[in-house]
Amino acid sequence: MKTIRGKLLITLCIAFQSCEMLDFVEYHPYDGHISGATGVNAANIARIEKSCRGKTVVRFAFMGDTQRHYDETEDFVNAVNARNDIDFVIHGGDIADFGLTREFEWMRDIMNELTVPYVVIIGNHDCLANGSEVFCKIFGDENFTFTAGATKFVCLNTNAIEYNYSHPVPDFSFIENQIDTNSSEYSKTVVAMHAPPFCEQFNNNIAKEFQNLIRNFPSLQFCLNAHEHNLTTKDHFDDGIIYYGTPSIDKRQYILFTLTPNGYDYEITEF
Amino acid sequence: MKLLNFRYLALVLLLLPARLFPQSDKLLPAHCQIQYAGGMGFVSAGIGWEYCKHWETDVFFGYLPRYSTKEAKGTFTLKENYIPWTKKMKGNYKIAPLTCGMYINSVLDDDFWISAPDKYPNMYYSFSTKLRFHFYVGQRVTYMMPPEKCSRIKSISVFYELSSNDLYVLSAIQNERLNLFDILRFSFGVKLGFVN
Repeated sequence: MKTIRGKLLITLCIAFQSCEMLDFVEYHPYDGHISGATGVNAANIARIEKSCRGKTVVRFAFMGDTQRHYDETEDFVNAVNARNDIDFVIHGGDIADFGLTREFEWMRDIMNELTVPYVVIIGNHDCLANGSEVFCKIFGDENFTFTAGATKFVCLNTNAIEYNYSHPVPDFSFIENQIDTNSSEYSKTVVAMHAPPFCEQFNNNIAKEFQNLIRNFPSLQFCLNAHEHNLTTKDHFDDGIIYYGTPSIDKRQYILFTLTPNGYDYEITEF
Repeated sequence: MKLLNFRYLALVLLLLPARLFPQSDKLLPAHCQIQYAGGMGFVSAGIGWEYCKHWETDVFFGYLPRYSTKEAKGTFTLKENYIPWTKKMKGNYKIAPLTCGMYINSVLDDDFWISAPDKYPNMYYSFSTKLRFHFYVGQRVTYMMPPEKCSRIKSISVFYELSSNDLYVLSAIQNERLNLFDILRFSFGVKLGFVN
């Protein structure tokens, strides 16, 4: 009798474990119980910095707002994989729509099918409920930088309205520190964010100060944003620094940027 | 204010079976249960009432460990079960070949809201992070205690359920990429009955 009970217990334990491994049980849609890859941005940044080292021409795709558009994101991934002239992809944020744990995993698994590395910037939808905690675990810090060729990319959390002043958004200390960090290793800068200045998410009280601060980066080329779901090119501060806003992924478009020693080009690419 | 409204609604739904059956013993819970997973916590425990032959109303408090988030959370669930038929088996067993129903789960945490707070522009987020609507189908096996045992516990049931929720279904309808395995979840539990 005892051995039968023992066997039953072992079988139950195995059943428990396999259910969990197969993602067939779920404790809560917002449980933050993550399966699969974490720290995705850091791993991909290492790949980007390695593959772009010494390159004078760097080409990257900028897209975003994939929220609940799994099919279109999959098509985007296939379109990028069909080319061989892109070095990496920047996702401009809103990878999730409701902030559900599973949404981050579903989108990560699609983006992981890219043959080139990618990084994801945090969007306002990614902050919903405990989304920012899940985002940081799966992708990484809300503010981060990386260097591709001679260009430093500064990726910032600008979703101020989501944080109730609980910590600084955008984080001026982070930006100031980055202006002084590794400045000998790059000569140009691109600043990327989800929500652009003067939209309802941004802390518009300090929009001009933000711009003055980021202009201290060596040779700021342009800024990138998502959030507005349509293609936008705006010179918000009349200082020649253009903010390029990417269409949301359901528009089946992304912006392809080419950084050259003399400047940069961009084209809107449909898929 | 809206949170208050939800609490009133939950209270009315809880008291509804008692209103339908004013006899005092019907106010007492007919069963208690414990459930593993199912979108209401790692483990949830609660009590329930049975009425109109096929219907049950359960309430649960659930525990959700922190995992990759900053804190563990409690949840509250209001669950309505419909059991269309049961079949007596050999011995003291009976089975319910189909159980189905829906439940509303609420996360007891301030980072979750029923409707978007006033800081946002009107209609900025048009869904609730706090309330999730789940639906399920499942099966149940019940062992009826022999009457001579005179136990307070009259029956023991084990059940399992396959469930999904409003936002998963919405996402799957709109995307071929997502299939049933992505959105269906398995859960199971034990129920102790206090009435024959």
